[in-house]
Amino acid sequence: MTVAIERTLPVRRFAFDWSKPVFISLVLVLGGLVLLPLFWLAYYSVLAKDGSLSLENFRALVTDPTLRKPYAIAMGMALATGALSCLIATPLAWLTARTDLPGRGVVRAFVTASFVTPPFLGAIAWEILAAPNSGILNEIYRWAFGLEQYEYLFDIYTFEGLVFALSCYTFPYVFTLVANALDRVPTDLEEASAMLGGGVWTTLRKVTLPLVLPAMLAGGLVAILQALTMFGTPAILALPAGFHVITTKIWSLFQYPPKPGLAAASALPLLLITVFLIWAQAKIIGRRGYTTVGGKSGAARITPLGRYRWAAVAFVTVVLSITVIMPYLALLKTAVTRTVSEPLTWSSFTLHHVNFVLFEFSATRLALQNTLVLGVMTATAGTAIALLVSYLVARRSVAGASLLGYLATAPVAIPGIVLGVGLFLSYSSPPFMLYGTIWILFIAFLTIEMPAGYQQLSSAFKSIHPELEEASRILGATRMMALRQITAPLLRTSVVATWCFVFIGTIRELSATILLTTAETKLVSVIIYDLNESGDLGAISVLGLLLLGVSFAIVLLANRLPVLGGRRITALR
Amino acid sequence: MAFVELSQLSKSYGKLTVVDRVSLSIEKGALVCLLGPSGCGKTTTLRLVAGFVDPTGGEIRVGGRVLSAPDVTTPPERRNMSMIFQSYALWPHMTVFENVAYGLSIRGLSKADIKTRVDNILSVAKLSPLAERYPSELSGGQQQRVSLARALVVEPETLLLDEPLSNLDANLREEMRFEIRRLHDQYRYTTIYVTHDQAEAMTTADVIVVMNQGRIEQAGSAEDIYKRPRSEFVARFIGGTNILKGRRSGDQAVDWGGIKLTCGDGEFAAADETAVSIRHHDIRIATNAPVDGLNWAPGAVSRQVFLGSHRDYLIDLSNGETVRAVAPPDVAIPKGQPVWLQFPPEHCRALAQ
Repeated sequence: MTVAIERTLPVRRFAFDWSKPVFISLVLVLGGLVLLPLFWLAYYSVLAKDGSLSLENFRALVTDPTLRKPYAIAMGMALATGALSCLIATPLAWLTARTDLPGRGVVRAFVTASFVTPPFLGAIAWEILAAPNSGILNEIYRWAFGLEQYEYLFDIYTFEGLVFALSCYTFPYVFTLVANALDRVPTDLEEASAMLGGGVWTTLRKVTLPLVLPAMLAGGLVAILQALTMFGTPAILALPAGFHVITTKIWSLFQYPPKPGLAAASALPLLLITVFLIWAQAKIIGRRGYTTVGGKSGAARITPLGRYRWAAVAFVTVVLSITVIMPYLALLKTAVTRTVSEPLTWSSFTLHHVNFVLFEFSATRLALQNTLVLGVMTATAGTAIALLVSYLVARRSVAGASLLGYLATAPVAIPGIVLGVGLFLSYSSPPFMLYGTIWILFIAFLTIEMPAGYQQLSSAFKSIHPELEEASRILGATRMMALRQITAPLLRTSVVATWCFVFIGTIRELSATILLTTAETKLVSVIIYDLNESGDLGAISVLGLLLLGVSFAIVLLANRLPVLGGRRITALR
Repeated sequence: MAFVELSQLSKSYGKLTVVDRVSLSIEKGALVCLLGPSGCGKTTTLRLVAGFVDPTGGEIRVGGRVLSAPDVTTPPERRNMSMIFQSYALWPHMTVFENVAYGLSIRGLSKADIKTRVDNILSVAKLSPLAERYPSELSGGQQQRVSLARALVVEPETLLLDEPLSNLDANLREEMRFEIRRLHDQYRYTTIYVTHDQAEAMTTADVIVVMNQGRIEQAGSAEDIYKRPRSEFVARFIGGTNILKGRRSGDQAVDWGGIKLTCGDGEFAAADETAVSIRHHDIRIATNAPVDGLNWAPGAVSRQVFLGSHRDYLIDLSNGETVRAVAPPDVAIPKGQPVWLQFPPEHCRALAQ
């Protein structure tokens, strides 16, 4: 082998490598977002009234029945909600994914709609429908049977009513997971069973359902998690009924006189429970090969329903009416009649509430403005951070990049109300005095939405083969050029979708907001909650429909993205 | 003079060494194939040459200039190379024309000049009618040709190909092998081609470099590698062979479990243990006891399969070993029948490792 004698000077990389500094600042930002509130939470929970360290807050948590009971009720409520969600969603998912039920696309559209509906709005809609005195359904019942004013059929202000209203909102989680799993169960597994003599029902019972059981369990856990950590629905339905769940109890500890230490101590067990639920869910979903049995074994097998067809249609209609159609109609009706119980006729029709909300009620304008500003800010900053994080993680351009992924995912296990407590404790005293400004809400929303944004964009990055960037590099493009000319156009659709997703998430947030908002920083969701306290359901309906309108417009926009996102995006595999 | 030189090139990830002190000189205009099983380090070697991976040891020189060394690495965009990727890596948001024009517009050529060059290469690659299509509207073979055209249009000094045919179906793959060789003969770029398919390597390469566990096992022409393998790995990897493990007995012979094999070729291991390689089709099968000649052994047919162009035999020998042999299709010996095998000395190759 010849030895090269002339050695020209090697070309040095003089372009500055940005990945290290970007990585470090992202670790600091995300670490700050996640760890700071948790630190103050832990610190305050062991702080006694006289400023010394003690466990008295935790002692109170165990001994004080007014603290213990809300936990017990919340657990019962969450478990019941999980069970009811599975019970409703699993048959619905099977009918939609695997049978010849007419109008299957419509079912999926309606379930998406109930996903988009803010849960507290659903609770208010059910107040309108089933409050014992003024509820529309009870009015109809009394009218139909000629009964006295004190008679009623439904009472939403009960434990059962609460579980029901929560399930209306949580069942889509189970539905989506189970329907996706059913879409993915390879047909040949079912055909194998049929070949061995298993009839339609045997195959369903012995093969299909066991295969989607993990998805159902995982969905049930999500439903439990959602129910347990939600503030709005219990605050609207349980407080009038005279009982607390843990989220409303924590909130009440901030009412005058505030007991932040006790609130912090009450929040910690909730955090542990959610961490456990997330862990359990990941465990169940993580056993791939079982749940997401991959396979391109053709289209899913469709079971003909035969004579059960109309029974199935009736079931689906009832479920969708209860969860989506009736609440929406109730809101619509309430928005344009003077009182809830008044029937909608030409004479009772009024635009009074619209006028009130949009022009007379002074708080609306500020709240709308705050909501919009916060939504845009959070969506933009959140998407930008999630984009950087998922790029660094997906391309492993820095050692330890996966740490960022964990930090960005961590908030998924922090309930909104717990984060609210933590942020309040972190930013209500110097050096970071942010309480009372919209910045504390911005930080809260950024933290809450980070996992979802990161999840979306990291799967988008995974679908872009690294070789696409490398092909551009080897043809002479620098790293930045490759990002601008190749990666950015391919990611555009996902970026816009993520932005919309985060925006919708922020404008409906209430659990953390309720602790962090002040008179100057009201949001639409808070106004709705306040108006509910004063019983102004007409105004709520107008605001709620406005919120829904904006959300649906954005979802539609996000779904139509190929128009926005440029030409053929079908990634080459 | 060597154009691309790898010297003592190494790449480790933590304790795992993927490329282990690889040294290789590639003449200007030569087509070199890196051949080996998956995980042998061939793709990492290619990515080291491309500049996507920084070496942990050794260096890469192209035209006498050091491009890669542990402390200094020229980024891929300043290496004047082109690469064809296993996934083709066509940009789905650009038309065929835009894909091919990309490298030229980065080089700052005028619009008119770009059009002339792209049109030219598209017609060479028989892609002119597809210029305005998007990659997702092309067949696998067409995508492959776009990928080739995109790499060649910038007239690189060095062309790198990473398993370029592995996503094509068998017929197309065979056709494209010859196409790649034809284009290479036409443009004479210094080319490094990575594959795990020996037929692909033998069709296209001037020099085949067989790699295993991060190291080069043997480099040479296709004929060289096939006829004169230097290690058991190479003998097994290129073409079917029997590896007979025995002890050295005398100058030119190996004692293989009581059967004495005289070897006409190869190097014996310094120690006692020596392996002998003999290709399936070089073994002779006879039904009668031999009259004369070396390297005969008795045995019995344990399996026989008719494969159209030949018959495939598995034969249990008297020393307890089993060998595989092929015979012309008309030589049909039923299972169980005693036979005599000859291992002709000129085809027995002793292997040092």
